[in-house]
Amino acid sequence: MSNETVIGKNVRKVDIVDKLTGAAQYAADLKMPGMLYGKIVRCWEHAHARVKKLDLSQAVKHPGVVKVLGPKDVTQKKYNASVLDLMVSESMHDMLGDIEDQPILGDYVKHQGDAICAIIAKSEEAAERAAEKVIVEYEPLPVYLTADESCKPGAVQFTPLKQGNRAFQLPEPMFPKHVLGWGDVDAAMKEADLVVEDEFYTPKQKQCQMEPHAYIAKYDANGNLTCWTSTQMPKCVQAKLSRLFEVPMNRMHIIQTTVGGGFGCRLGLVSEPQICALAMAVPGRPVKLLTLREEDWVISPSRHPGKYWMRMGFKKDGTPVFCDAYFRNYKGGYYLDASGVAFTAGAWLGGMYRFGALRYRGESYFTNQGITGAFRGYGNPQTNFVLEQIVDRACAQLGIDPVEWRRKWHKDVGDDGWCPGVPYTSCALDECLDKGAAAIGWKEKRAKYAHQTGVKQRGVGVAVMNHTSGAMPMLLEHTNCTVKLNEDATAIVTLACSDMGQGSHTALQQVAAEALGFPLEDVQLKGGDMDITGFDIGAHASRTLYVGGAAIKMACDEARKQLFARAAKHLGVTPDDLEMKNKVISVKNRPEKSVDVKTITRLGVYHFVDPMTGKPEGEPGQIVASVSYFPQRNSPPFGASYAEVEVDTETGEVKVLHLVNAHDIGRAIHPAAVEGQLEGGIQQGLGNVLTEEIYYDKDGHVRNNSFTDYKMYGPSDMPKITTILVENPDPFGPFGAKSVGESGLVSPIGAVANAIFHATGVQVTDAPITPEKLLKAIKGKQGARKAAA
Amino acid sequence: MSKHAITLIVNGDEYTLNVPANRTLLEALREDVGLTDAKYGCGTGECGACTVLVDGTRAINACLTLAVAMDGKEITTAAGLAMDGVLHPVQQAFADKAAVQCGYCTPGMVLKTISLLAQNANPTEQEIRKGLEGNICRCTGYAKIVDAVQQAARTMNAETPARRAAGGNA
Repeated sequence: MSNETVIGKNVRKVDIVDKLTGAAQYAADLKMPGMLYGKIVRCWEHAHARVKKLDLSQAVKHPGVVKVLGPKDVTQKKYNASVLDLMVSESMHDMLGDIEDQPILGDYVKHQGDAICAIIAKSEEAAERAAEKVIVEYEPLPVYLTADESCKPGAVQFTPLKQGNRAFQLPEPMFPKHVLGWGDVDAAMKEADLVVEDEFYTPKQKQCQMEPHAYIAKYDANGNLTCWTSTQMPKCVQAKLSRLFEVPMNRMHIIQTTVGGGFGCRLGLVSEPQICALAMAVPGRPVKLLTLREEDWVISPSRHPGKYWMRMGFKKDGTPVFCDAYFRNYKGGYYLDASGVAFTAGAWLGGMYRFGALRYRGESYFTNQGITGAFRGYGNPQTNFVLEQIVDRACAQLGIDPVEWRRKWHKDVGDDGWCPGVPYTSCALDECLDKGAAAIGWKEKRAKYAHQTGVKQRGVGVAVMNHTSGAMPMLLEHTNCTVKLNEDATAIVTLACSDMGQGSHTALQQVAAEALGFPLEDVQLKGGDMDITGFDIGAHASRTLYVGGAAIKMACDEARKQLFARAAKHLGVTPDDLEMKNKVISVKNRPEKSVDVKTITRLGVYHFVDPMTGKPEGEPGQIVASVSYFPQRNSPPFGASYAEVEVDTETGEVKVLHLVNAHDIGRAIHPAAVEGQLEGGIQQGLGNVLTEEIYYDKDGHVRNNSFTDYKMYGPSDMPKITTILVENPDPFGPFGAKSVGESGLVSPIGAVANAIFHATGVQVTDAPITPEKLLKAIKGKQGARKAAA
Repeated sequence: MSKHAITLIVNGDEYTLNVPANRTLLEALREDVGLTDAKYGCGTGECGACTVLVDGTRAINACLTLAVAMDGKEITTAAGLAMDGVLHPVQQAFADKAAVQCGYCTPGMVLKTISLLAQNANPTEQEIRKGLEGNICRCTGYAKIVDAVQQAARTMNAETPARRAAGGNA
């Protein structure tokens, strides 16, 4: 570690000056000659309806309108906005039962905001005014907001492909009896001294990325379709659009613009199909599509809400003899990611503790809520809220310290991680637990807050989590990287990864510089243009640094090897004899026998034959190294969070005083960026457990589609934060690094819920834990006490 | 809609525009002036991504302000802060503290900080947090932003006497 000069340092983030000066260009900032504006006409009146009549005649006549498109004016092929189907083999695809059920424009409304038709006009205002002139008559259908409602016999079927509106359940061939787990839960149940059981509800949370979705697309006379988008998954989007519009990959161009936050909502397609359909309707003219915030709210996927039942059995000494769980989540009207979260919620559960037996069932049901899909954590927040509260309830009844219980029963190196058969390669969760406990003052505060009277009561709580670094072997994690040394001894690294703000481009550049042995400023990372970069699955599953970094390291190691081989020939020694310092390669212990890196790279490019001797100078050819990389592991990170809260027992208000996020991230390539992930994760985790939920009225209208009505933690709401980076290099991560992108928001959820339990003695099973719900629970407990007295 | 001829002085440059009465300052800056560093985030003044400064230090939401109401005013956007390639002390502090992730809120956050420090050169942490309430960041949890504002306050306070001595503007 000590020899490393670039990694582990808080270098200036590569994109920070452009972002500070406003030079960074997001999709909405782009303008092109001859550009037209698109507007999608959406159904705001109904969450479930059929279009009876669509009259576009008035809209077409509106001044400035170039074209109006109805459902029949675009390709009739449907799509699945998620990219999961690209990440699995065809046989697995069939087994999972992924379907393509989303039309570009449709006549069957499955959620509020579903797209009906589209306007193309010379100005944004003309497009908006024309949209107002579209006449649509609907036939309303019954609105189902929960799985209980949509699975009832006689309910309207969302698609003939999924009977009973069940979009997904764990497939029998892979999960016998539709169960993920191990051992015999029914037998283990008889051994339990204590059984704790409850049904929970986990909320529908919105990513609230600050940049609303925006696009430009253009279709030219040569059949080139170009789309400018801030997707997290540019290569997958390219593949999906190519298939949808039958445009070959070499004419389907994706230019990635600066990504103004993603958190999963750009994991796949959002409105790329619509903007491309608009562009294809007006060849030669670029079309821009902007999205209002309230529109963004309903067109991009949110976190899967749902009912999550869990029963756990323990022996008196705390031994967890079994865990039985059933997560029944609510999709929106479309399939996307139905298989993913229903599976992963159980996968994180299975990866956490050494249950004697585990039986997890996961199902997804269509509803008329807005669509659900990927959101940072991907099933993990739901499991954390439930599992960690069940554990603490048991600990309270058994008189066991929750930290000690977790230390004893969490899985460790050699145990299977979230994917059966793929064992943990490193785990420093104990150190996270220890350091976090010290930072919050666990022992003192647990004792101090044990017996409180008065209106305001404090508590401390703990929760742990496991996550992943890429989704191998469940999903494809292929990436390609090319490193090219220019004649002036600078390097260009190409990789199609997305920096959504997490700092991955900076960290990846650090990895490249470290591996090449070059100063950071001599290395540039290029992504963005999908015609130049090789395949990469995209920014999902916290994999960019772990997978991309490993690929970069391999490619840079290879480039360095070529460089050293040429230097060895130049100096008449073998590569093993050489070392490099300040971009001068010299024979070890003989610094006078050396060659400048620039000499080698220049001679490779400007390769001449010496006119006097007739001999070539140096080795011909530019030094280029490419790798096509498939990771062999998924090196999960671990985290322990501690929360200290103060509850006003008269109002139910929760004030979070201190939140400690201790994470085993393997190795921090850019420590400040890692801290930034954990800090931002806390803000989203606190929202998940305390304030954030999309609410619907009975007709399926979103009641809070703005930042006023949807409460995120603001700067004054945030508690004191302590982030602790536990560095325990992983044998498979680049320079030992594991992931940190998603995991920071997971365990704060359980920690806060458990701190509330410690403060009040009540658990609220319905998240977010709003003052109303908590007050009701506190009053319920007081009532029960009085009745008992 | 009737159009109005207005003059905006944006980052020191004068622009004469002919705008409809309902044109917001944000639209005028982005569409007519061609400066895109003020961002649309919500259109209703909740997120602060469109923050700009009026007359040097007053932060406003450009999405809620009509362009005609700004006739003759000096407007500063994030693009007008760096001088000859040298970052403004607030930008420098955000860079030093890695207080930027996706960057979409950043121009507004920087301008709000300048406004905040103009009103209160030595804010407490609580005052900083309160001052930034109208600017939403979904990436950072605000931790590094608060650090950056504190550093900016220190730098600017240290610079001020020096600038005064040099005869510059405080």
